[in-house]
Amino acid sequence: MKKVSLIDLKADHKGKVLEISGGTNLQDRLMNLGVYKGKEITKLSHIGLRGPVVIKIGRSILALGHGVAAKIIVEA
Amino acid sequence: MIKKIYLIGNPNVGKSVVFSRLTGVQVMSSNYPGTTVEISKGHLLIGDEKIEVVDLPGTYSLEATSKAEEVAVSLLKEHPRDEIAVINILDSTNLERNLLLTLQLIEEGYPSIICLNMCDDASHKGVSLNIPKLEEILGVPVIATCAVTGMGIKLLIGRLKEAARAARGRLSTEERWVEIGKIIDQVQHLEHRHHNIRERLEDASVQPISGLIMAAAVIYASFKIVRFVGETIIARITDPLFTQVYQPLLEKLTVNWQEKGFWFHLFIGDLINGKIDFKQSLGVLTTAPYIEVGMVLPYIIAFYLILSLLEDIGYLPRLAILLDNLLHRLGLHGYAIIPALLGFGCNVPGILATRVLESKRERFIASTLISIGVPCVPLQAMIFGLLGAFGGFYVGGVYAVLFILILVLGVILNSTLKGYSPEFLLEIPPYRFPPLHMLGQKLFFRIRGFLIEALPVVLIGVLIINILLYLKLFDIITGIFAPIIQEVFGLPKEAIVALVIGFLRKDVAVGMLMPLGLTAKQLFIAATLLAVSFPCVATFIVLWKELGFKSLVRSVLIMISVSIIVGAALNFLILR
Repeated sequence: MKKVSLIDLKADHKGKVLEISGGTNLQDRLMNLGVYKGKEITKLSHIGLRGPVVIKIGRSILALGHGVAAKIIVEA
Repeated sequence: MIKKIYLIGNPNVGKSVVFSRLTGVQVMSSNYPGTTVEISKGHLLIGDEKIEVVDLPGTYSLEATSKAEEVAVSLLKEHPRDEIAVINILDSTNLERNLLLTLQLIEEGYPSIICLNMCDDASHKGVSLNIPKLEEILGVPVIATCAVTGMGIKLLIGRLKEAARAARGRLSTEERWVEIGKIIDQVQHLEHRHHNIRERLEDASVQPISGLIMAAAVIYASFKIVRFVGETIIARITDPLFTQVYQPLLEKLTVNWQEKGFWFHLFIGDLINGKIDFKQSLGVLTTAPYIEVGMVLPYIIAFYLILSLLEDIGYLPRLAILLDNLLHRLGLHGYAIIPALLGFGCNVPGILATRVLESKRERFIASTLISIGVPCVPLQAMIFGLLGAFGGFYVGGVYAVLFILILVLGVILNSTLKGYSPEFLLEIPPYRFPPLHMLGQKLFFRIRGFLIEALPVVLIGVLIINILLYLKLFDIITGIFAPIIQEVFGLPKEAIVALVIGFLRKDVAVGMLMPLGLTAKQLFIAATLLAVSFPCVATFIVLWKELGFKSLVRSVLIMISVSIIVGAALNFLILR
């Protein structure tokens, strides 16, 4: 078990959301999309050079900007 | 008694398609979140009753976190609850995420009816839903539909009056997700399917390397197809029509028109070597229809064919992922690519689509960059038509200059404007292959829109221009600006007329350059100036409406200064 941000999680790996730092607006937006503490997500890809991270959550695919991805800490 | 029906649902579940089915009002629908930026209204007839139907922008939750969501939620509160019915539209392939809004609607006591849309897609994907069970759990009617084929819509209308409130205690969002998990366990059955080719493509298009290769291929192919289709229509259909049918007809009709005075000048224009020349005569009945129908319309058809296809397949959000990085440096994020691409068709819908961006700052940057660096199809078609004769180098040159301008200006705006660029957060839809009739309808809708908006403006515009030219009123402006135009931009002084007319329509403006016999360099500069300098009147109005007067003035000042700098730079430094 280790704690990493979504940036550092390897592509094609799963992780469980431990915490989301950042403002309440961001937390609310993510919560409405189903990304919240305890939820399992799969990282699909990461566009390099500070590009977005693509994740799969339930049956949805989400693209998160680099800054958002850095704020989501998962347990891998 | 129901007085109003609201359609509400997550982004990209097909609300607008359901809306079109219910009301017969054609609205734009695509396969990406946020297609609907304006509220559409229509009417549904049930017996003798005429009920207003409102299509709301997509929202994930009633606790609004973005502007579009706020709009949706505030409209919902406008009427007393017992006078409205809410049709909550859900994507059957992704019930879990969609149910959050459903539970909120029921908790808040809105009389609701559930429309499980895209049910054909769900069965293809091995998702089966127990609808009676879901109806029992939620306590409101649930109807399966497939709006693109029309399946289930009759049943939906038939059961509208059953829209009901159901008792449900208020939960926090987290509790709601737990509740949804329980509901899903009872009503959804997933059949395991192996990855098919579509899913492989979906996956490959968001990976860094394969994604970039696909993006390059898609953009290259789109460009090639647009040119091919456009040129083919011109060579096979419009040009033969004009030169072999319309021209002989016009010549026959005017053969007895001896006195070539004011009226002749107005409608037919100048004869070139005793004949009508559609590119140079500049008459209301000659050059005006030729520009719109003979030069621009073929490219409008070609462009919207490809854009509509890319939109409906769902490729654009994937392009947004790949470009997020670059657009961040310009103070935007990946999703700004959607307004930019729409802007290539016409700047007006492009600027309207900047509503998908969160902040005022982003919308200002995006709108200004679109006005400056994104030439609309009418302008591009004319550039191809005129500059193309001198070779692809010059046409490519215009695009290169505009692209560099977008980058440089974007970086400058991003570093000088207060604020920061918000982060990208976007749901990526699955690829879908739209039925051909939907694609055809959308293309028809857009082409008709173009003809209705452009043709009258062009005909009346050319009429007024000809009157002004005949009365030599342009000579006053020409006299004032001649030194700038000649010395700074290296253009003949008559080109000022074209630049002024750029405010009316860009295609007509380039058309005014046709009889001037410009060199490749002059045409290059004039075309670039027309793209950059000042928005056309339609764009001007939409900028005003969307940004407010102060930002409009700022934006326009930026455009004018940029065009002077660029025009001069091209004239003195780059080209000989």
